[in-house]
Amino acid sequence: MDIRFQNLDDESLIHQIQEGKHEAFGEIVDRHSKRFYSTAYRLLFSKNDAEDIVQQAFLKLWERRLFWNPNKGAKFTTWFYRVVVNLCLDHNRKKKPMPLCENMELIDEQDGQEILLDEKRKQALLDRFIQELPERQQLALMLCFYEGLSNQESAEIIGIKLKALQSLIMRAKTTLKEKLNHHFN
Amino acid sequence: MTMDPKHFKENILLYGVDLHQWPEEIRQEGVELLQKFPGLQAILAEYEQFEKVLKTRKFEEPSDHLGQRIVSLSLHQDKKSPFGLGLFLSRLFADEFYLPKPALIVVSIVTIIALLTGFFIGFSNHSGQVLADQRQANLQEFLHYEGDVL
Repeated sequence: MDIRFQNLDDESLIHQIQEGKHEAFGEIVDRHSKRFYSTAYRLLFSKNDAEDIVQQAFLKLWERRLFWNPNKGAKFTTWFYRVVVNLCLDHNRKKKPMPLCENMELIDEQDGQEILLDEKRKQALLDRFIQELPERQQLALMLCFYEGLSNQESAEIIGIKLKALQSLIMRAKTTLKEKLNHHFN
Repeated sequence: MTMDPKHFKENILLYGVDLHQWPEEIRQEGVELLQKFPGLQAILAEYEQFEKVLKTRKFEEPSDHLGQRIVSLSLHQDKKSPFGLGLFLSRLFADEFYLPKPALIVVSIVTIIALLTGFFIGFSNHSGQVLADQRQANLQEFLHYEGDVL
């Protein structure tokens, strides 16, 4: 990777990309592809789908590089989160969600297997509970808790006011906590 | 704002169990409230357990070559689709102005009709030429008046 581009911030890289510098595009992909994959994975619950969405989003960025206006004020990451999130939400709306199986039969009663399956069962339940949350609550939880973004940035990505975002997080976590307590206690 | 136990719980939900990650303006107040109400320690512990469970959520790492694949595809994309005027216009309207597909179709049709109408008006307007011919003819008449050349 070209060292010239490694020292540039994201917005400067975008300027370079708009000038057709493919190495700058490579740098921004290298810098951020894992982060946006993580976002997509948590919304899609599928590795292949998440990779496809991230690929699609970056290819759109390259294809339509001339149409991105850096003067609109948003940070690149805030804007790109929005792109990825929108692609994920569109994908989920088109695709029927896979039913998550929590009824895992023990096929082997060795101690290690039991613990492993119990963990997998808990993970499957957790995924199910998160999928059952309203879309915006899922988004708020994903951005604030799993991605570690500030409440302010998360609100900008979703396109809502800060108070609304905070309400979404509180409701999401409260609902999840109640469901988990009910199931595991 | 003076924090009470109810706000403390809300802040745990909003910012997490690690008080060091709370916004600066409420961090100290949170720490002091925890010292003032020892019962809040139990609530904090409960939410710590809850966050631990949330963090057990399944996650699969991406393929090692994801970044390379994206970069290669973008190069391939450039070779496949040269940048033409039609593509430029459709992207301008669809992306920059965020026109949905039906609106984009309507705008395209209206633009084409306007262009065709303009061409038609332009090509069918002989009046300019007629006036020029007439002026030339009048001049000739004037210059070649019967009998006398002026």
